[in-house]
Amino acid sequence: MKSFVHFNTRSVDEAIHLLKKYEGKAKINAGGTDLLGVLKDRILPEYPEAIINIKTIPGLSMIEDGEEKILIGALTTLADIINSSLIEKTFPLLKEAALSVASPQIRNVATIGGNLCQDTRCWYYRYPDGIGGRINCFRKGGKTCPAVSGENQYHAVIGAKKCYAVCPSDLAVALTALGANLTIAGQKGVRTIPVEEFYHPLGNTLSPDEMITAIHIPKPFPVARQTFHKFTLRKPIDFAVVSVSSLIFLDQEICTSSRIVLGAVASAPFRAYKAEEFLKEKKLSAKTAEEAARLALDGSKPLAKNAYKVEIAKTLVKRAVQGTE
Amino acid sequence: MTSIPKKHPPHTLSLTVNGETHSFILGKGPNEVSPSHTLAQTLREKLGLTGTKISCDRGACGSCTVLLNGKAVFSCMLLTVECEGKEITTIEGLSDPKTGNLDPLQQSFIDHTAFQCGFCTPGIIMSTKALLNTNPSPTVDEVKEALSGNFCRCISHYHVLDAVMDVVKKEGNQ
Repeated sequence: MKSFVHFNTRSVDEAIHLLKKYEGKAKINAGGTDLLGVLKDRILPEYPEAIINIKTIPGLSMIEDGEEKILIGALTTLADIINSSLIEKTFPLLKEAALSVASPQIRNVATIGGNLCQDTRCWYYRYPDGIGGRINCFRKGGKTCPAVSGENQYHAVIGAKKCYAVCPSDLAVALTALGANLTIAGQKGVRTIPVEEFYHPLGNTLSPDEMITAIHIPKPFPVARQTFHKFTLRKPIDFAVVSVSSLIFLDQEICTSSRIVLGAVASAPFRAYKAEEFLKEKKLSAKTAEEAARLALDGSKPLAKNAYKVEIAKTLVKRAVQGTE
Repeated sequence: MTSIPKKHPPHTLSLTVNGETHSFILGKGPNEVSPSHTLAQTLREKLGLTGTKISCDRGACGSCTVLLNGKAVFSCMLLTVECEGKEITTIEGLSDPKTGNLDPLQQSFIDHTAFQCGFCTPGIIMSTKALLNTNPSPTVDEVKEALSGNFCRCISHYHVLDAVMDVVKKEGNQ
């Protein structure tokens, strides 16, 4: 790896101060399982001058139970989330999502904050600088997205305009379904934003001097049925081809309300509002599941090689609605 | 607001590997560790512990697995400077330092010929070790899950499962 200046920070203030000082030329390192790959392949147009280690900040790795919500520190590892009995009991879908990520070695190190902030896996965006030079795609300031007329089997099927890369985070899908909020600290102070609004078509809304410090998840009331389904070809090393996470509030067999979120189909976790609206006050059955799945993918515009993702997404929505594996 | 040191403070770095503490100077010289060095690089190039392999170097294959405070991690995806104060165990640290006897797990891999080319084997053994440290009597499925981050292109997996389950039978409670 090309060298950089390295800082072990002791407080959020210190990390933000350094981010500010380096004016966008510094990167925060938590688990590092995404960042080190980005650095090794030199995929960024500008190689960072400084790496700011935040693992040395005390107090950011914790899971705290509250009356109405649970607070998870940004540095909490995926393994800690999986092993937490509180999470297993309250948010089984979050446990499933964390467990679906990569391999045990990655989950021992990777953090929830890092999972939310990881860079896209689009293979044009990720093309290594060392093999013939990096590809200057739309996301990197180029004029076009090479995926549109290229190898697009894993790209967006819904809502994409200029860049067809998808958001790779599984936890973002789960946390959107749970209606979680992020606490973000920055030079201007602390702000709170729903996970649902965290992403934009070319990345996330963090400015160069900001970092996530905590995730707040409201406890679903009344108790809701939670599911997380992820389709991959080779479980431990593949990112989601499609994932679906759902929160369905039931009164007997009738759905009173729901949140259905699709992952890896767009640049952000995609809320299937039409399906949610349709399911309201409906009895859950194979027929309503079928219609909900159709509505969830209504308006999808697959590219030449990824229409299969639409069918997989429909199947996962059906399973989520029916509560089957 | 905390004041920012003009130069990054840790000019030296101490690493605890297999129970021994080693000190390094941070820098770019031949005997120094660069801030951009991965733990796998430092283990192999500075400490000569070449049992830890680098294959994909991207956190996918599992060859570089070592134990960090008892947990299996990819040493190719960790910066050496961020491992200060942690207990690192590599494949070289498994045998008994006094008698030189292999760990029962290593012996079982030999007894079951649980490898072909052997490049992935140290990583597989370290992942298994991490599992057995927390769960001495795992089921076959638990072993498979614990080893899901280790790849073997020679398809030694079946023999690996035999080797691991044999140790579990002898050492564990099953």
